[in-house]
Amino acid sequence: MGGQACVFYGAAEFSRDLDLLVLADASSLNALRAAMASLDAETIAVPHLDGQFLQRGHAVHFRCRREDVKALRIDVMSKLRGSNTFVQLWSRRTTIEVEGIEIDMLSLPDLVVAKKTQRDKDWPMIRRLVEQAYFSLPRVPDENSLEFLFLELRTPELLIRLANQFPDAAQLYTLSRVPVARALEGNIEEVSAALSVEEAAERGIDRAYWKPLKLEIEQLRRSRVKHEDE
Amino acid sequence: MDQPITAEELVGEEWAEWYRMTPQERFLESMKLWDTYLALGGSLDPEPDTQSPFFDPDEWRASASHGRPGVRVLRRGGV
Repeated sequence: MGGQACVFYGAAEFSRDLDLLVLADASSLNALRAAMASLDAETIAVPHLDGQFLQRGHAVHFRCRREDVKALRIDVMSKLRGSNTFVQLWSRRTTIEVEGIEIDMLSLPDLVVAKKTQRDKDWPMIRRLVEQAYFSLPRVPDENSLEFLFLELRTPELLIRLANQFPDAAQLYTLSRVPVARALEGNIEEVSAALSVEEAAERGIDRAYWKPLKLEIEQLRRSRVKHEDE
Repeated sequence: MDQPITAEELVGEEWAEWYRMTPQERFLESMKLWDTYLALGGSLDPEPDTQSPFFDPDEWRASASHGRPGVRVLRRGGV
């Protein structure tokens, strides 16, 4: 769901870890354990691999020791902030085949939502992903494509252009998204400012979401250190 | 009607070319980059992501690159 998905959809990220989204049920976790064992992967940091942690939104981190993938880090999650349930994400997934192996990825709209984090590096990525979708738009776009662009475009010039092309559709999103309202007015500085406000708000929501989870991680770290000292 | 904005105007030739590729082409290009990176001795150990909510400074450790042993630095310029 991470770097390679971004590459597939049009951004470019040279990510050296592998992010996996799994269903946190017994069968999937057993399959995951077997896969990690085949890679000679050990859990690093906290928490350990446990469905309860995954269901609460934690990530479990592995580092591989098998020679051909030595030091590769694999992060496993089951729940993404702001996103739908795993089952819904799975039903919308994209499947590709690479060298005869099928790989499932988040859909583009789900990837964009997942990238709305507190990290600087995710925001240019979102912009690239949605720009690519804009430039791939057919001459007569469908409603879903327009909705995606009006809700997610982060390039002021393109948002203004889209609002000019489809003013009736743009009107539908002016209440839910301030940058669209500014785009209809056509002032690029105001669209940029509204996008900055929107980004800052999302980053704040992400920090608030992680605050209790980080406290829990901190407690798990202390507990582990205490356990190791005994 | 005003003129459409092209990808070249907005993001330059290099990015526009990347956008024009099919998803499969981008994936394959990315795999080539990986091969080059590993051939040059690049490590799979990721750099520390200090803005990640998972980041633990005690956990992160630098590790030596483990790429192909035939790659070595012959001359290094100043900073």
